Amino acid sequence: MEFANFPYLSTILFSCVVGLLVILVIPAERKMLIKWVSLVFSGIPMVLSIYLFFAYDKAQGGLQFVEKVLWVDSMGIYYFNAADGFNLPMLMLTGIVLFTGVLTMWELELRVKEFFAFTFLLVAGVFGVFMSMDLFFIFVWYDVSLFPMYPLIAIWGSTRKEYGAMKLTIYLLAGSALILPAILYLFVNSGLNTFDIVALMQPGVFTPFQQKFAFILLYLGFGILAGVWPFHTWSPVGHVAAPTSVSMIHAGVLMKLGAFGVLRVAIFLCPEGWQYWAQLMAVLATCGIVYGAFVGLAQTDLKYVIGYSSVSHMGIVGLGLATVTVDGLNGAVFQMFAHGVMTALLFSSVGYIYEKTHTKMIPELGGMSKIMPVASGYFILAALAGIGVPCLASFWAELLVFISAFKTYPVRGALAICALVVGALFMLRVVQRTFYGEKNEQFEHLPDLTFVPGIPRMILAAVIVLFGLFPSVMLDVIQVASVPFINGLP
Amino acid sequence: MTSSWFQDPTLLAAMLGALLPFVSFVLIMVFTRPYPKLSATISVAAVSVSVICALFLLGRHWHLEHPIQYTTKWLVSGELYVPFGFMLDQLSLLMLTIVAVISFLVQVYSLGYMAGDPGFSRYYAFQSLFAWAMMTMSIAPTMLQFYIFWELVGLASYLLIGFYYEKFSASEAGKKAFVMTRVGDIAFFLGILLVLLNFGNLNILDMNSVDVTARMSPALITLCAILIFGGVAGKSAQFPLLTWLPDAMEGPTPVSALLHSATMVAAGVYMFARIFPFFSKSATAMTLFLAIGMITMLLASTMAMVTRDIKQVWAYSTISQLGFMVMGLAAGSYFAGVFHLTTHAGFKALLFLCSGVFIHAYETNDMYEIGRQGGRGLKIPMVCMTLGAAALSGLPPFSGFFSKEAIMGGLAGLHNPIWLWGGLLGAFLTAYYSFRLIFLILFPSKIKEPHHGEHGGHGHGDDHHHAGLYWVMAWPLIILATVTLVLGLFQTPLENFLVGHYGGAEGHGGGHHAWLLYVAVGLALSGVGLAWLEFGRKGASQVGFVERMEPVKTLFAERWYIDHFYRLFLDYVIYGIFSNLFTRNDRQVIDGGIDGICRATVGGGRMLSFLQSGMLQYNLMVMFAVLALVALYFFF
Repeated sequence: MEFANFPYLSTILFSCVVGLLVILVIPAERKMLIKWVSLVFSGIPMVLSIYLFFAYDKAQGGLQFVEKVLWVDSMGIYYFNAADGFNLPMLMLTGIVLFTGVLTMWELELRVKEFFAFTFLLVAGVFGVFMSMDLFFIFVWYDVSLFPMYPLIAIWGSTRKEYGAMKLTIYLLAGSALILPAILYLFVNSGLNTFDIVALMQPGVFTPFQQKFAFILLYLGFGILAGVWPFHTWSPVGHVAAPTSVSMIHAGVLMKLGAFGVLRVAIFLCPEGWQYWAQLMAVLATCGIVYGAFVGLAQTDLKYVIGYSSVSHMGIVGLGLATVTVDGLNGAVFQMFAHGVMTALLFSSVGYIYEKTHTKMIPELGGMSKIMPVASGYFILAALAGIGVPCLASFWAELLVFISAFKTYPVRGALAICALVVGALFMLRVVQRTFYGEKNEQFEHLPDLTFVPGIPRMILAAVIVLFGLFPSVMLDVIQVASVPFINGLP
Repeated sequence: MTSSWFQDPTLLAAMLGALLPFVSFVLIMVFTRPYPKLSATISVAAVSVSVICALFLLGRHWHLEHPIQYTTKWLVSGELYVPFGFMLDQLSLLMLTIVAVISFLVQVYSLGYMAGDPGFSRYYAFQSLFAWAMMTMSIAPTMLQFYIFWELVGLASYLLIGFYYEKFSASEAGKKAFVMTRVGDIAFFLGILLVLLNFGNLNILDMNSVDVTARMSPALITLCAILIFGGVAGKSAQFPLLTWLPDAMEGPTPVSALLHSATMVAAGVYMFARIFPFFSKSATAMTLFLAIGMITMLLASTMAMVTRDIKQVWAYSTISQLGFMVMGLAAGSYFAGVFHLTTHAGFKALLFLCSGVFIHAYETNDMYEIGRQGGRGLKIPMVCMTLGAAALSGLPPFSGFFSKEAIMGGLAGLHNPIWLWGGLLGAFLTAYYSFRLIFLILFPSKIKEPHHGEHGGHGHGDDHHHAGLYWVMAWPLIILATVTLVLGLFQTPLENFLVGHYGGAEGHGGGHHAWLLYVAVGLALSGVGLAWLEFGRKGASQVGFVERMEPVKTLFAERWYIDHFYRLFLDYVIYGIFSNLFTRNDRQVIDGGIDGICRATVGGGRMLSFLQSGMLQYNLMVMFAVLALVALYFFF
């Protein structure tokens, strides 16, 4: 047993589990109590994950805050949590999005208890995947996080919710079906009888062929969740169908789970497979970037627009991972964080507008800036971040990815860069049609965002701006993990 | 950056000057939006400090020997080091001063112009954002920082053009400006990426050093220069990306004065000057830029000859003067280009601010209408505008005359005379359309002509408060008019300042052609004369020679159909082909395929379920058949 100090990571994880259990024993009529309990138990992970991010010792590097307990001796399964430069931004992202998501759903009236219970179950799985260094646990947490999406969408969703929920579940389970054999294949062939990633990632454990074989399975399996083109169509449909906070968690965090899985499992364990398949990854990522932007151009539903912009932005993550360079990895991880916060803000703004106007069809809105200037302001800020305006977080991520992509794959990199124009066109078009122009008389009486419901949006906007102005706060942490990793490649 | 940053007045001034407007932007956006007066005070106070700092820096470093650089880490990723900092040399000090002064004057003027507007606070927030971005860009030490703040300038411009966002034309114009400059910026970005990857460094001073030729092949330098020039073409509205600028006049008039004439659009030319030594290493690229500059100048001049909208005239003239600056720089006369940039900033801001007074007073942009309503009654703006137009036409002794002569001198030094002829033709056209406008307002025709649809005014409801604010708006005019009058006299000191100590760059070529001086002034005067004949004199028809030729007039008025081409391209290629096709692919091929698999699975299950019918005789029959087959297999 190995506990460096206070088990921060487990506290984060179990605060979600305990939150879930506490909610389960509260009677369903005590809606306000349930919300407050949720807020407290989502606040703890947020505070702790931010603390860990800043407490991480960058000079020392490596895995820190390690908690390692042997669980099943005969199969070498460890309860093994640790933090490094790759998962710290993800943990912080999850903490922020969970907390702001709970606040965004403050007005919820329908089956409050079940909603927050499922949310905590989902997020517990997400935290588990991000912090776990054991293959077995990663897989278990991964599936834990997938299951609650179905009821969350099917019960509290809108627009074709059963179809969206079913489609999403089938896709993601298909992904799991690829991941499980790959994990078992690696476990059997390592000969080490362990699921410990640190042990399995030592050079020479797997032959090049094994790495290539396992990598493609893992890449496709996790890639489905990351919205890799052409396996992305579940994601816009799912986004549209989901209720606001679920969209936030889904697009903001869950899709990162896929990309993170590619990084933590596929790339960590099969670096040679990574280098072998990088060309293909770059092609698919570039397709996603260009394709997402063009399809987004044709959408008339606000949530579909954001859904396709996510496909495009997750393509940037994929492109970064495909470059096999320090800059690319840095950019990809940074983009996961930046895109998570940005999409959460987009969905929460749209959520507010939808809640008040009961429509998210662009042609029916218009002139919203006059009616709700503050709510519109947040959306516009996030949209600007989405089109890569400098000094907002995602600019730096895109910059790093594009620099490395242009170096490694000039043509694909240049194509992806050119897609920025289309991206700008489609986002500004949405902003123009929705927020500018003559106001719709029908919505004139609707109230603007007031201070308290504005808090979650304020947090997200502040994060976008702060990391945009001071990107090195984020990159110095990611660097600590990416530089040794790339240097250690065979 | 050393720990004693507060002890170094230069650094302190640069930091205060460049960063205070950002503080003001944040303060206004977050806290003081409901209090318009307070917001305006914060913004004007911040930009005043910027002016003081800029003038202080200019005075302190008038005899600068070596550029001063301060940098600190902004971002490190692997081998990539992105610094944030300031680089002060003659050019950046000059630009910093221009931007600060014009921003300050425009913000003061806006106190009057924008008074009572519901978006007053927002307006000042965006103005501050612009001032921050533009000044930090001016003193950027690396091309990457330059690019970053260049984009932010574009953002501020987008927000300010679309300031009256409830108007469709305004939000459309903002979007168009952003996307069209984005196109150029993508080329710019690719260009600096190529430099970064091949040269390994984006420091402006290093890029300008002779080192570049040693590490990059001539073809590569040409490619990079052309790509980077894409950014210039976007921001400075050069051919073929020129059509966003006339539309950008949808913004409030002070915005047009600040961004779309004096400072922001000049950023493109400034960048050209900034890495002038780098560009001039490629003769091919320079010739291309010369051609682009000339095409732009002539196209825009023709457009200016037929429009009725007072702001449009100045917008087109801005494009054409920017083209002229590009020509000057591309001809190799570094000083001439920068000098024209400086004088142009002064007189073009003056022209726009004067027009603003007219538009504010008469609620129309139509110059015929303004003239008929007695536009010349507004004495100060009328006199100032005439001064500005004279400077724009290159008449002595106004500032424009000196800078235009300098560029003409540069063009005359070139091998191919076509560039000089183009420049002279441009000068003639400029004088013609400038004075067409002046005469139309000064001597309105008594003949009642059919009422033309009003170009959108700026939508102020009441005009009772105008008189009191007249003087707030008049002071900036007088200051700018004075600058226009005297700036030409400072040519020699400015030249010594800019070129005297500047290592790599050469002075302006020529300028000693006495005949050129007479020809250029003569052409400008004949332009004025033609305008007088057609619009000024008693009983003039007030119909220009172009307007008599219907097809030509339509061609000019439709901006040579460039916009139509873009519209068609957007509708048919981007929306029609790509967007539509991809969406269809998404719905029908990918989704359809997946749904097909699902249906096949469900259908297959249904088929198989017939077997599980529970009828004993079928089960027995199958069992018998299977057993029989197994038996057959084993026995034979």
